[in-house]
Amino acid sequence: MQLTYHQREELKHLVLPLLDDLERFALSLCRREDTAEELVAATIASACESFNRLRDTSKIKQWLFRILSNKFLTQCREQSRYKEVALTDATNDTDSHFSFFEEVSQPFLLWYGNPERELISHLLDEDIRNALDSLPIDFRVAVVLCDVEGLPYDEIAGILDIPLGTVRSRIARGRSLLQKRLWHHAKDLGLIKTKRRQ
Amino acid sequence: MKTNDRKTVETISCEQAIKLVFNYIDDELRGKRRGELEHHLETCRHCFDRVEFEKLLKSRLRQLKVGGNSKNLRSRIDALLGQF
Repeated sequence: MQLTYHQREELKHLVLPLLDDLERFALSLCRREDTAEELVAATIASACESFNRLRDTSKIKQWLFRILSNKFLTQCREQSRYKEVALTDATNDTDSHFSFFEEVSQPFLLWYGNPERELISHLLDEDIRNALDSLPIDFRVAVVLCDVEGLPYDEIAGILDIPLGTVRSRIARGRSLLQKRLWHHAKDLGLIKTKRRQ
Repeated sequence: MKTNDRKTVETISCEQAIKLVFNYIDDELRGKRRGELEHHLETCRHCFDRVEFEKLLKSRLRQLKVGGNSKNLRSRIDALLGQF
C-alpha cells in the first residue's frame, strides 16, 4: 500500500518514539541483535501496509507489539517444522505447580534468613535469561510481556488476542517452569545442597 | 477505625492465598480479594516470604529489559518508511 505524505508523516510521528520499545521487546524474545532488528523492520513494513486499518492511534504500541509477536510466533512455528522447538504446553502437571520458593525455603530459619532470596540473588542475569529462553514459545511470550515489559493482563490479552484466563494460565505455567529450570540450574551449580524433591 | 475495618476482612487459608500471589504481584488483584490477601500476609510469614520471593524474581526478569537505541535500526526504519 502506498501511503500519502500525511499518512507517512503521521506514522513516522507515531512509530519513531516507540522504536526503542520495539527493539527491546524483540531482543527479549529472540536475543540476537540482528534477528531482533529484522523482526522490528518486518513489523514496521507490515504496519505501513495496514496502517489504514488502525482505527485508534492511541493504541499504536499495542498494535505494533501484536504485529511483532505474531511475526515472532509465525517464525517459531515455521522453525518447528524443521527442528524441535517447543511451542506450547509440553509441561506436565508437576511443572505447572512447581515453586522454587517451596523447594528451598526453610521455615525453621524464618526469623534468621531467606535462603530462597539469597539463591536468586546469586544467579546471574545470564542464568535467568537462559531459563527464560528455554520456555515453550507461547509461555515465553506471555512471561516476557508481563515480567520484562511490565504490561497489564488486559493489554497482553489484546496483543496476543487470547482471553484473560489464558493470559493468567500462560504466565503462571511459564513462571512455574522457569522456576523449575532455575532450581535445576542452582542445583547443578551446587547452590542447593539438600535434595528434597526430584 | 482501622481495627473495625479489619474485622470485616475475611480470613483466607494459605492455599487460597498462594493462588492469588501472581495476580497480586502483577497488580491485578483488586477490592475484597486484595484486602483478604493483604490481611493474610500480615499474619502469615510463610506466605509473606513467598510474595517477597516472587517479587524479587519478577524484578530480576524486569532487569533483562536491555537494548534499544540502535542507530542502525533507526536509519533503517527511516529509509523503510520512505518506501511506502
